[in-house]
Amino acid sequence: MSEKMYAWLLRLYPSHFRAKYGDEALQLFRDRKRDEPGFVGRLRLWLDLLADLAVSLPRLHRYPQPAFAAASVPLVRGPSFYVFEARRIAAAVLVFASALSLGVFDACSYLIAHPGDPTPSSPSSTLSLAAAADPSPVQRPAPIEASHASAPAAIEKLDASERRRVVDAAITNLKRYYAEPDVAQRMADALRKHQQAGDYDAAPDGAAFSDLLTRQLRTASHDLHLEVRYSERPLPDRPQSAAPQNLAVVRRAMEQQNCTFEPVKILSHNVGYLKLNSFPDPSVCLSTATATMSALNHTDAVIFDLRDNRGGFPAMVMLLAAYLFDHPEYMYNPRENTTERLWTHSPVPGSRLADKPVYILTSTRTLSAAEHFSYDLKMLRRATLVGERTGGATDVGVFHRLDDHFGMGIRETKPVNPFAEPDWAARGVQPNVQVRAADALQTAERLAASKFAKK
Amino acid sequence: MPKQKLNPLPAAAFQILLSLADEDLHGYGIMRHVAEQTGGRMRLGPGTLYSSIQALLEERLIEELDPPANQTPAEQRRRYYRLTSSGRKLARAEAERMADLLRVARAKKILRGDYV
Repeated sequence: MSEKMYAWLLRLYPSHFRAKYGDEALQLFRDRKRDEPGFVGRLRLWLDLLADLAVSLPRLHRYPQPAFAAASVPLVRGPSFYVFEARRIAAAVLVFASALSLGVFDACSYLIAHPGDPTPSSPSSTLSLAAAADPSPVQRPAPIEASHASAPAAIEKLDASERRRVVDAAITNLKRYYAEPDVAQRMADALRKHQQAGDYDAAPDGAAFSDLLTRQLRTASHDLHLEVRYSERPLPDRPQSAAPQNLAVVRRAMEQQNCTFEPVKILSHNVGYLKLNSFPDPSVCLSTATATMSALNHTDAVIFDLRDNRGGFPAMVMLLAAYLFDHPEYMYNPRENTTERLWTHSPVPGSRLADKPVYILTSTRTLSAAEHFSYDLKMLRRATLVGERTGGATDVGVFHRLDDHFGMGIRETKPVNPFAEPDWAARGVQPNVQVRAADALQTAERLAASKFAKK
Repeated sequence: MPKQKLNPLPAAAFQILLSLADEDLHGYGIMRHVAEQTGGRMRLGPGTLYSSIQALLEERLIEELDPPANQTPAEQRRRYYRLTSSGRKLARAEAERMADLLRVARAKKILRGDYV
């Protein structure tokens, strides 16, 4: 065993030395082992060997092999290398090293050119972009982000100083930015109490700690929009703005996917069916949205299928909703105070949809902006929701960095919700007709058919 | 790149030269002799021992021998080393240099007791 260990240690020596004296060195080891038995002898042997390694290794690597110094340099074509090893480098090694270098070079170039590149093939491209730009004060109007789409699982250990730092930063940010100072104070007191009680010592990792803080903040404030998030990747120091090349990528991807609008279908009873897989940025997708709504214009009812819609831009929510009213309508958005932007630009010239029945298909994957669309149209009694309770994505407001891995969303304004039912944050939107998502389309068609039959 | 030199002669190299002064030895034999002649204070490890031997060979201060004919097969595989005449001269010069140092040390009364 010990001989094997020493044989392994011998590999640390330059190859020319091993080739000439490796066997001798091993033999010397065996001789000493034989002649110096017992624990003390063995201990002395290993101490000597380790001391010898420490002294001789640097010297042997520092000096060239004497035979090499004297050897004449042969004329070679192609590249030449200075190497630590005296052995000739195999061709396969050179090929592998070249391929590896090229791979690393390509990967670096790609990463430099595509910081936070969204996945163009995913219907939630806008969401990915939102998530990439997440830890920054959000420019308004901005996509409502789905809290479920972020915060990778964490396995890193947390130390007490980081926990303390995060709690201190959370309290400072709440006091400075939270819309209601008295509630902010209440939350600060609650966090301090938990801290003093040692409740945070049990949190094993970042994700568990951020979940715990989120729960405590929500309990203290009854505000489900508050959220502390953990990011395994260090958060950037400064707000990131979307790079122009990324916007170009998003624009191209959106155009390739018809802005996530699937082709309009006309079902039986002249019911228009639109599957919309996100609420894309109107600055990119205005013409697609207009063309799609025109295709629905002559239908007698509309089914919006949002079962795979994970969110997007509130501006697109407002744009599409405008077709469904014959007068400007207030669409509550938990992120914004009452402004002109929250009123639909209705009536839309030429729209014949303002008095047509509307059905919205929902699932647990319906998130964020899709919940905004569903919730407001349900509350305004403008649409019938069919399917499952939505996912309950939390609009976290403006993101504040707490330290390298933690951040929190704080709503700096607290718009008044005019509707009786609380918004979708954390709890989702309850559909009018609850069926399995897979059965939602069939149910909506039946509902539309029965409505027409009554007429 | 710097080349390994024996000027000044490292202690390990000097001890190896001394160990080979009266007989031809293999590596382990050299190590044992050095340990004996230094009262166990210097136990040369394989790295130091063979790098020093390599340097001494390069400078032709020692030479490599075929193993003696009457050895076992295991012993036959060992390399034996012998002091060359230039090696002996260098060892003598080094010893004289040290003797000079010793005289100075005596004159300065650094050494005391039995060693003087």
